[in-house]
Amino acid sequence: MISRTRRRSTALAAIGTAGMLALAACGGGGGGFDSKASQAAGKGPVKLQLMIASSGDAETNAVKAATDAWATKTGNSVEVIVASDIGQQLGQGFAGGSPPDLFYTDAARIGDFAKAGNLFAYGDQVKDENFLPSLVQAFTYDGKFYCAPKDYSTLALVINTDLWTKAGLTDADVPKDWAGLETVAKKLTTGKVTGLVIGNDINRGGAFMKQAGGWVVSDDGKTVTADKPGNAAGMAEIQKMMKEGSLKFNTDTNPAAGWGGEAFGKGITAMTIEGNWIHGALSKDYPTVKAKFAELPAGPAGKGTLLFSQCWGIAAKSTHQAQSVELVKALTAVDQQLAFAKAFGVMPSTQDGIAKFATAYPGDAAFAAGGAYGQGPVNLPGFDPVLAAFNSKFATLSKGGDPKAMLADLQKNGTAALAG
Amino acid sequence: MSATTVHGTRVQHVGRKKIAGYTVLILFSILYLYPFLIQIATSLKDDPQATAHPLSVIPNPFDLTAWKRMFGLTSDSPVPITTWLGNSLIVTIVVTGCRVFFDSLAGYALSRLHFRGRKALFSALLAIMSVPGVALLLPKFLMVTYLGIYDTYSAMILPLVIDAAGVFIMKQFFDSVPVSIEEAARIDGAGVFRTFWSVVLPMARPALITLTILSFQGSWNEFSHFLVVTQKPEHKTLVTGLASLTSGELGSGTQFPLKMGAALLTTIPVALLFFAFQRQFVRGANEGAEKG
Amino acid sequence: MAGRKNNIHGREGVAGWLFVSPVIVILGLFLVIPIGMALWVSFTDWNGNGSPFSGGPKVVGADNYLSLFAKDGLTRANFMQSIGNTFYYVLLVVPLQTITALLLALVVNNKLLKGKSFFRTAFYFPSVTSSIAISTVFLFLFQNTGAVNSLLKLVGIRGPQWFSDSRGLLHLLFGAVGVPENPSWAQGQIFGRSAWDWLAGPSVAMCVIIILVVWTTTGTFMLMFLAALQNLPVDVDEAAALDGVSPWQKLRLVTIPMLRPVIFLVTTLGLIGTWQVFDQIYVMGKGAPAGTTMTPAFLSYNQSFKSFKYGSGAAMAFVVFLIIVVLTWFQRRLLDEDRVPRRNRRRTNPPAGAVPPEPPLVPVPAAALQESHR
Repeated sequence: MISRTRRRSTALAAIGTAGMLALAACGGGGGGFDSKASQAAGKGPVKLQLMIASSGDAETNAVKAATDAWATKTGNSVEVIVASDIGQQLGQGFAGGSPPDLFYTDAARIGDFAKAGNLFAYGDQVKDENFLPSLVQAFTYDGKFYCAPKDYSTLALVINTDLWTKAGLTDADVPKDWAGLETVAKKLTTGKVTGLVIGNDINRGGAFMKQAGGWVVSDDGKTVTADKPGNAAGMAEIQKMMKEGSLKFNTDTNPAAGWGGEAFGKGITAMTIEGNWIHGALSKDYPTVKAKFAELPAGPAGKGTLLFSQCWGIAAKSTHQAQSVELVKALTAVDQQLAFAKAFGVMPSTQDGIAKFATAYPGDAAFAAGGAYGQGPVNLPGFDPVLAAFNSKFATLSKGGDPKAMLADLQKNGTAALAG
Repeated sequence: MSATTVHGTRVQHVGRKKIAGYTVLILFSILYLYPFLIQIATSLKDDPQATAHPLSVIPNPFDLTAWKRMFGLTSDSPVPITTWLGNSLIVTIVVTGCRVFFDSLAGYALSRLHFRGRKALFSALLAIMSVPGVALLLPKFLMVTYLGIYDTYSAMILPLVIDAAGVFIMKQFFDSVPVSIEEAARIDGAGVFRTFWSVVLPMARPALITLTILSFQGSWNEFSHFLVVTQKPEHKTLVTGLASLTSGELGSGTQFPLKMGAALLTTIPVALLFFAFQRQFVRGANEGAEKG
Repeated sequence: MAGRKNNIHGREGVAGWLFVSPVIVILGLFLVIPIGMALWVSFTDWNGNGSPFSGGPKVVGADNYLSLFAKDGLTRANFMQSIGNTFYYVLLVVPLQTITALLLALVVNNKLLKGKSFFRTAFYFPSVTSSIAISTVFLFLFQNTGAVNSLLKLVGIRGPQWFSDSRGLLHLLFGAVGVPENPSWAQGQIFGRSAWDWLAGPSVAMCVIIILVVWTTTGTFMLMFLAALQNLPVDVDEAAALDGVSPWQKLRLVTIPMLRPVIFLVTTLGLIGTWQVFDQIYVMGKGAPAGTTMTPAFLSYNQSFKSFKYGSGAAMAFVVFLIIVVLTWFQRRLLDEDRVPRRNRRRTNPPAGAVPPEPPLVPVPAAALQESHR
């Protein structure tokens, strides 16, 4: 008798355990993939998640301060998540049905995100904020303005003034064209110092391609133009200067630098090509290095620089879209943008903002000027891996890589990406 | 005469052998332990010092900034290390507890209880064990999302609470234990679970310790599973947190003292366990070679 | 009596199923069914939006698999590069870890030496620590101005820029013996990659990962060798020593043949484990520089979560899966073959005193180990 009761309780216990596990596991019942955003503005305070890819403590702290201020004012709360690899983390969030409400979105990923239906297109709600037209264009895909541009930067020539004067150069020598650049770079190359050090991918070297009249895609984004002669000419110029020893990639210097700014700060190079984010690094890590900025020298096809921008993306699956838009409005207000500019050196994305910025930071005129003719990133879907492959080959330019072959691959892969 | 020379060369020979042996051992110990010393020392240096003297194992000056920052004692944005530590502990303890219980339960059934389909089940288990973990990343993500538990503790814990290898180890162990004692218990009228719980499990202590250690170490060090089933920072464990630190969460700057400190913190619990249960670790590693 | 026996068995039947039910539920739910789900996804063009199972994504048949092998394009180029990388990685890691582990085991096992347990602990310790933590430490050690390069500087060598150097070792070797860059004989295309690219060898950056993995896995394998060595009959050892054979001869003619099954076990385990490298790649550059540290497992992850091509990512995962299953199957078969004739031999003709003790070779628990040491 006793054994039977025991047996039964044993059985019950075991069934219970298994059942509980099964229940716990099945609790969600297949809802994961199909969770839809409720478009209605939620009532009461909400908790927003904002995912950023930070350039460092300065940026993280500035964004936190700004969102905290908004949170205190509105009674909501904002959690700032610093991503280590924002592309992968967002991808997982999108597919997993729980992306952050807001996130930095690079112009280059707009096509990917929009095509997969991950972005909430709220451009209409913020179009009165008077953003720069080139930026609105960068965040428009398939005729829809998706998200409010956060800020922008362009590339300029960064010059170490001490080394410049030491080499006997004056303001009149600031290069206006490739020939001028070659001359000063050669003069500045002495001993352990290389004349010019740049990043080893299209995001820096691409400026040369642009200056020679090339670019990866046509202006309308419909055809791949990697095989245009300008691209090869730009890359050939880089290789030419490398052979002369007056130009190096940041990865080829000794010691190697993480980026152009590091090489510049450490005095490995006398010039680099970077955006105005270099301010933050210089003032924090290398306060003794003095720099001045000039527009990039023109190539055979005239002036050219690259323009970078990110927007405040809002997830299509966010349940707090209304509040998110409110937060974006606060973050893109002129004063706030100027505060960001002060904290980590980005340029305001609104016309009023950039006007005030130009008055406040006359030394940055070269960066601001680039806004007029800067080339934004390729924002078509499927181009991320294509450019990643191209960039990994681009780095071999210093080791004798063949520009024509690289561009042929880019043309082939890009065309395939456009088609698919 | 000849005897002494033979003896002499032998002694010489043994001496040389000893020197060669110790040389190898000492060289390799340096190779295997010095990186850990560098790690400890670097976590106690400041940034410039860490970069300037990478080989030195004596921090000079002694600098606690990295540790202070980890525990939120500086003005810089703190690293949420206590959250990570908490998550690691919760997950590891629950997973280890579940694994030890469920694995031994199943191992016992597969070894001792006669039921239809046992052989087929065991073959299925063997097949499952050869499924490589890295091929399971996307599948796990799909299931977890399908169940609607993506980015929850359930998603972190449930898929780990049973591992086929643990079941196998327990089955092998029970196979090697004589049946007589349990039979006596059964004849006395104890039920199956009762026999298992109060007679068999206490006998299985060595195997249970091995399994506990393997499970603890496995779930504490787990990375890729947590990477694909979670996303919020509040679900980070020490290991996933450290990975995000290392691969650039702090943006530019190297901050090696901080990273080394976080890595050290990740290593310590397993290290303590290791030194406390060295013998069992060795046994665990040889589980394949001893049982059969 | 018979009735009672049946009763016991019936009772055992219910209990048996109940005892294994958690295993069935969990492994079924998080292992078997998900594999089916991923298999389905690998035949679709799911982009991560909406459910992959209800209508949304288009079924594309075997396209995702074809684009890995047969269709010229970026996906195949990347995948083939990752296969090439892994091939060289395996080719270096497996012999290095086996030989180092055997060497350490032989020295530690030497009866003349003291402090055995200290050294055993020291060598095994890296194996139990987190791969992410270890990778972080190695990132620091192999910095451009890090510990390794400082050490090399002491002996007058200028160390490479480990993590940004994408040059292949074989290419460097070719360069050293005067083979021109990209010679005409290496232009043939194999799976869309030129023979010259296939012949690159592991990049300098990949070498760091190779060193790291060898460093962390030798401890485990050393223990396996130690256990086998301790099971060797002592008299063999002494007999061989007295016969005046040199230690090298003893090793080559007696010890290694006796250890054959363990050596075999270790190499196959290594072979299977090396295809699974993921954590180290995640921390140490995610495939950079120039894709030379990309592995199929990591590429599959990237393709899914970063490029939103989940179908293609799933297809890659299944190819890796298949490779490993084939290797495992191969291992088990060879082990079985290895054991049968050995037993027969012993039964028919026992060689006096020199019977190789049969190291109980169960491939599977060792796989368990591997799981925990991954």
